[in-house]
Parts: sequence; C-alpha cells; structure tokens
Amino acid sequence: MSAFFENLWRDFDDCFLSYDYYMLYLKGLRNTMIIAVLASLIGLLIGIITTGIRIAPKNNKIMKVLDGIARLYVTIIRGTPVVLQLFIGYFVIFATMKSFTFFEVKETAGIWVAALVFGINSGAYMSEVLRGGINAVDKGQMEAGRSLGLSWTATFFRIVLPQALKSAIPTMFNEFITLVKETSVAGYVGIIDLMKIQKYITTQNAKLYVPLFIIAIIYLVIVLILQRIQKILERRFARSER
Amino acid sequence: MKGNDLKYSGSLIQIKGLYKNFGKLQVLKGVSTEIKKGEKVVIIGPSGSGKSTILRCMNLLEVPTYGEIWFEGKLLTPIDPYLHPEIIRLSKTYQKMLVDAESTGDKKPREQVDAEIIAEIKQKDLLKKHEGGEYKSAIKTLYKSNFSDINITRQKIGMVFQHFNLFNNLTVMQNLTLAPVHLKLKSKAQAEEKGMELLKRIGLEDKANVYPSTLSGGQKQRIAIIRALAMEPDVMLFDEPTSALDPEMVGEVLELMKELAAEGMTMVVVTHEMGFAREVASRILFMDDGVIKEENPPKEFFANPKDDRLKEFLSKVL
Ligand SMILES: Nc1ncnc2c1ncn2[C@@H]1O[C@H](COP(=O)(O)OP(=O)(O)O)[C@@H](O)[C@H]1O
Ligand SMILES: [Mg+2]
Repeated sequence: MSAFFENLWRDFDDCFLSYDYYMLYLKGLRNTMIIAVLASLIGLLIGIITTGIRIAPKNNKIMKVLDGIARLYVTIIRGTPVVLQLFIGYFVIFATMKSFTFFEVKETAGIWVAALVFGINSGAYMSEVLRGGINAVDKGQMEAGRSLGLSWTATFFRIVLPQALKSAIPTMFNEFITLVKETSVAGYVGIIDLMKIQKYITTQNAKLYVPLFIIAIIYLVIVLILQRIQKILERRFARSER
Repeated sequence: MKGNDLKYSGSLIQIKGLYKNFGKLQVLKGVSTEIKKGEKVVIIGPSGSGKSTILRCMNLLEVPTYGEIWFEGKLLTPIDPYLHPEIIRLSKTYQKMLVDAESTGDKKPREQVDAEIIAEIKQKDLLKKHEGGEYKSAIKTLYKSNFSDINITRQKIGMVFQHFNLFNNLTVMQNLTLAPVHLKLKSKAQAEEKGMELLKRIGLEDKANVYPSTLSGGQKQRIAIIRALAMEPDVMLFDEPTSALDPEMVGEVLELMKELAAEGMTMVVVTHEMGFAREVASRILFMDDGVIKEENPPKEFFANPKDDRLKEFLSKVL
C-alpha cells in the first residue's frame, strides 16, 4: 500500500513539481481563462445585439433583413461543432492575417483568434438564453406598459428586460462555465491552453495518465468554484422582488 | 396640399365597421358603436365571441384588419377608405371605372353611376387589389390632421386586465409612478403624492413599498385600477376585471369600480357580473360571434331580450 503512494508521489513530483512544471500548468490555465473570459464578453455583446435584432418589432425592410442574418447566424453556429468553427476561424482568419506582410503576427495571436471564435460561438447560445428569458416574461407586462402610454422601448428596458435578466443571468454564467471546459479543444490549433500542457509533459517524461489526472483536477476545482459563484448569483436574483 | 378633415361625431370613442382577423380566423365581423362621455358601457357575451378583442382594439393593443377607431375626434387606425365615398373617389380604380362607365354611352344619371361604382369597389375589395401604397400615403398626407399619436392617446385610455399585469419588478409605488414620471406628466414628488392619495383611497397605503407578489388578487386588481387612474384618463377599459379573483375578493373590486362610475368616469367593462351590469351600466352590448347582436339600457336589455342567442345566454347566466 505504501509502495503505491510512494509511486504516486514520485509521479506527481515528476509531472508537477520538478523542472517547475507547475508553472506550465499555470500558464496553460491562464491562457484557458483568458480565452474563456474574453470569449464570454464577446459572446455577451454579440448575444445582446442578436437578441435585440430578433425581438425588436419588424416594421421595416432593414429590420427584416437583419433578423434573417441573426437567425442564420444562430442556426449555423448551433448546427456545427465548435472544433470545426475553431479550425475554420483559425486557419482562415489567422492565415489571412499572416499573409499581410506589412504587419507582423505573433504566434501568441492564436489566443485572440481563439477568443474571437469562441466568442462568436458563445454569442449564439447567449442570444438563445437571453431571448428565452425575454419570451418567458408574461406578455401582459408589455401590454400593461403600452396601455399606459409607454413606448415599446421604455416598457422593454424598464419592465421586460429586468425580469428577463433575472432568469437569464445565472444561465448565461453557466454558459461561461461551459466555455471554460469547451476551450480545451484550442490545443488542436496549436494554442497552449491548460489541456495542451499534457502533451508537453508527456513528450518530456513519457508519462501519460498523471498529467491527464492533474489537468482533470484543475478543471474540476475551477468549475466547482464557478458553480458556487453561480449559486450565489441565482440566490441574489431570486431574492430581489421578495 | 391643403389638409382635409373627416367628420367627428362628438363621441369619446367611435368604432366604425370594425373587422379583426387572426390569420384565417375572423373574430370581429363588422362592429360599429359609439361611447359617449360619461357613459358606462358593459359588454357581455359568450366566451370567444370577441369581447376582449373589441376592447383591446379601442387602445390598439390589437390592430383592426378593417374599420376605424376614433378617440376624441382623432383616428387611431389608418383611414378605411371603404367607409368614405369621398376617399374612394380619389382612387385611380374609381376614376378608371368612371371613365369606362361614361364611355359605354348609356345615359344613366351621374349619381347612380357613382353609387354603382362605389358599391362594386367595396364589394370586390378592389382598392386592395389595384391601389398600392401610393394611394395610402396620399390619403394619409391629405388627412394627416385626423391622426393621433397612439402613445399620447393611450395616456388618456386606462386599461385594467383580467390578470392585473402589475409590473413584477417594481414596488407598488413604482407601479403607480413609472408612467406619469417617465412620460413627464408629473415630477417624481407629485407622482408619489398622487400615488399615496390613491393608495389611501383604497386603504392600501401600507403596501406602497412592497412588491406585487406579496399581494392578494383583490389587492393587485385594485392597485392595477389606481395605476390606470394615476394617468388621469378620460375613459377606463376593463377586461373581465374580476374573473381571475377568488369569490371573496370580487366585491372589493366591484365596489371600487362602482365608485368610479358614480364619479362620472366613462367606462367600458367586459364582465360576467350581471348584477354590476344591471346596477351600473347605462347601456349593455351583447356580443356574439364577432358582432353586436343587441344593444340596450339594462332595464330593456334584461326585461325584453329580442335576439334568440341573447335569450339563451341570459337563461344560462341569470
Ligand atoms: N392573439 C390571438 N391570436 C389568435 N387568435 C386569437 C387571439 N386573440 C384572440 N383570439 C381568438 O379570437 C376569438 C375571440 O377572442 P376574445 O376576443 O378573447 O373572446 P372573448 O373575450 O369574448 O372570450 C377566440 O376564438 C380566440 O381564440
Ligand atoms: Mg376575454
């Protein structure tokens, strides 16, 4: 039994402590979090714009065309795998950028491209969450506002949106948690995220399982922390209005 | 171009030849009536007969398919050309048909030709087929002094819903002050003073700072009523205001409505409360299958129903 723990410790030492390997994990984690945070901010922005277009009254041609584009965007993003979107984003955008010789593109720019791709991806899901929250608000709320002479916009921002956000914000935070895990495919296009660290360590010392488990534990800890924050958010929003 | 004016009957609300379709379903099939200042009009009828729809058309929560709604002499809907021969005469369709009719050579009097063409245009709905948006915008320009801004008009038309529709994210006081303050009709202090006065009137001044979810149905509905009153409307529309209430709370809401009636408020009330109709109404409308089947003061309405469907309806509800 003690031999087992001794081995385990040696493996952990080899894969985490020696050669300052833990710094590598930290660097990977940092990149993972940069991509996830940036992507969810971009996603939030795109989500808000997309939702705005989809729910605004369609009383002219421009709104109808924009609505069509928004629908197409959501359909395409939700209908294709995120890895594929990453490949297309990375090879198409990044390669095009690189071909402009007059400005130098550093390899680390990959992170920004990934953040953008994941942001565009997340925007589609965020908009569905937001739209769902808005549609869940009783139609009578808008009618009551309009019957008092308030405009659609005033009623929307003062009455409907605050109620929609109450249910949507915790769910959108959930989207962020998903994003933290989903970005683990970024390594496919050469970005050094947390997941990618396993490859480095394995090439150095031929150990496979231990780094995988270390990475699993790091993801788990991060996700558990975020889930706690989400619970607090949920309670916060449920409390207002009591 | 000189602006034209259409005739104003002097009624507070005037409904002319109203039709409403929801997709293929025709819900209103030609409703016309007028609501005069100070009148209390009660609308009764079986479920699905279009009572809510006609009420919701009065403040344009539903947009009529054909017909016109007038409020204090201004049009809420677009002009319905079929209701105005003089406007039909402006159309290319009419002018072309007139030329055609005159070229056939038979000597009918001009008035008869005119009447026949107008009847044919109405019957075959030719304006919709042959006249484009050009015609619509031309009459819109010509009669623009007749149109009102719907958001301004709605300030004068209070509405009370079956399910109260208090703003869930606002306190009772915020419910009462949001619209008057946002629309710059009152300062925040003035609006709150008025709000408090209204709350005192219904004995709920201690509820000013609670959220609607903590209130009983009867309290919610009375607050919904004073929320509309806070706008100082010229008319109040009620859509089955007591139908969603527990029986013991119906009384308090009807009491408040009777007070309003006594104070001279113009009211249009869709309800199943026959006692209220008998006591308060100056006129009762019976709606059935998208039309007004009968329209009379309560005495005559209950004592002497003529329409068979109304007799049947009354035998069930009385
Ligand atoms: N927004 C809508 N879309 C489709 N059908 C509707 C809508 N509103 C009402 N209807 C239909 O119109 C008919 C009349 O409805 P309503 O005016 O609410 O009747 P009432 O108030 O007399 O019970 C019903 O058959 C109802 O299902
Ligand atoms: Mg109804």
